[in-house]
Amino acid sequence: MKRICFVIRILLVVSVCAGCAVFGRGKDFKPFDENSLKQVTTGITSASEVTRLFGPPNKIVKLSNGNAYVYERSIEKVTGLWLVVLTFGNWDTQYDRIAFFINNDDVVTHFGSSFNAETASYAMPF
Amino acid sequence: MRCRFNNIIWFTAALLIAQAISGCVSLQIEKIQEGVDVLPPPDEFIQKKTSLEEILSCYGAPTDLVDMNGDFALHYRRALYRGMNVSIGIPLKYALLPSPSIKSTGNLLRYDTVVFIFTADRMLKDMKYEKGTDRSLWEDYW
Repeated sequence: MKRICFVIRILLVVSVCAGCAVFGRGKDFKPFDENSLKQVTTGITSASEVTRLFGPPNKIVKLSNGNAYVYERSIEKVTGLWLVVLTFGNWDTQYDRIAFFINNDDVVTHFGSSFNAETASYAMPF
Repeated sequence: MRCRFNNIIWFTAALLIAQAISGCVSLQIEKIQEGVDVLPPPDEFIQKKTSLEEILSCYGAPTDLVDMNGDFALHYRRALYRGMNVSIGIPLKYALLPSPSIKSTGNLLRYDTVVFIFTADRMLKDMKYEKGTDRSLWEDYW
């Protein structure tokens, strides 16, 4: 009887583990440094200094009295779990973004930044 | 001991049946999230008084930046997708050509959004906030 119980237990473990899990990480990378923002002063820093510090922007938006340079990068984390008849999938994408507002004299008037890419997480979809 | 043995037998049978029908029945649950929570604008944000600098220091860089023929808009957005697929079928395609199956799919993409519209002199002209993810999943879907 004990032997049968043991075999059944092994079968149970094998059945429950008959699935697989996936963890994935994707990165849309742009090499800008958060600390370089300390070198940017509104009303003083020029557009060319911005591109020297951060590289070419991902996007340039034409505004009525100047331009906006937008820098963006992201991290995506994917979690997947396949059990016998159940499948769970979770995708979490978070971004680092900087937007510089540049006037017609090519000087930075405002800038805003959000650094959330590292908060992307592996999780279940509930 | 007898009772415990019976429980194991039942559980094993259930698992074996689940394994046997794994090609026939499946349930898939998905969630896709892009961006962080978008907070409602604080009461201090007042049209024609709040500047671009105040918005940027509170919300950071926007998701989108749009020129509006003189005015411009900052758009902050979080997208949340939820999907569920249930399928029941009899995989007979190797034995018979028609394989009876039924599949039910539902998915819903919702947004938390705040939009700030600025005049050319970079003062707040208008704002709108909507927290789509707080609404009932069931009611929004139907």
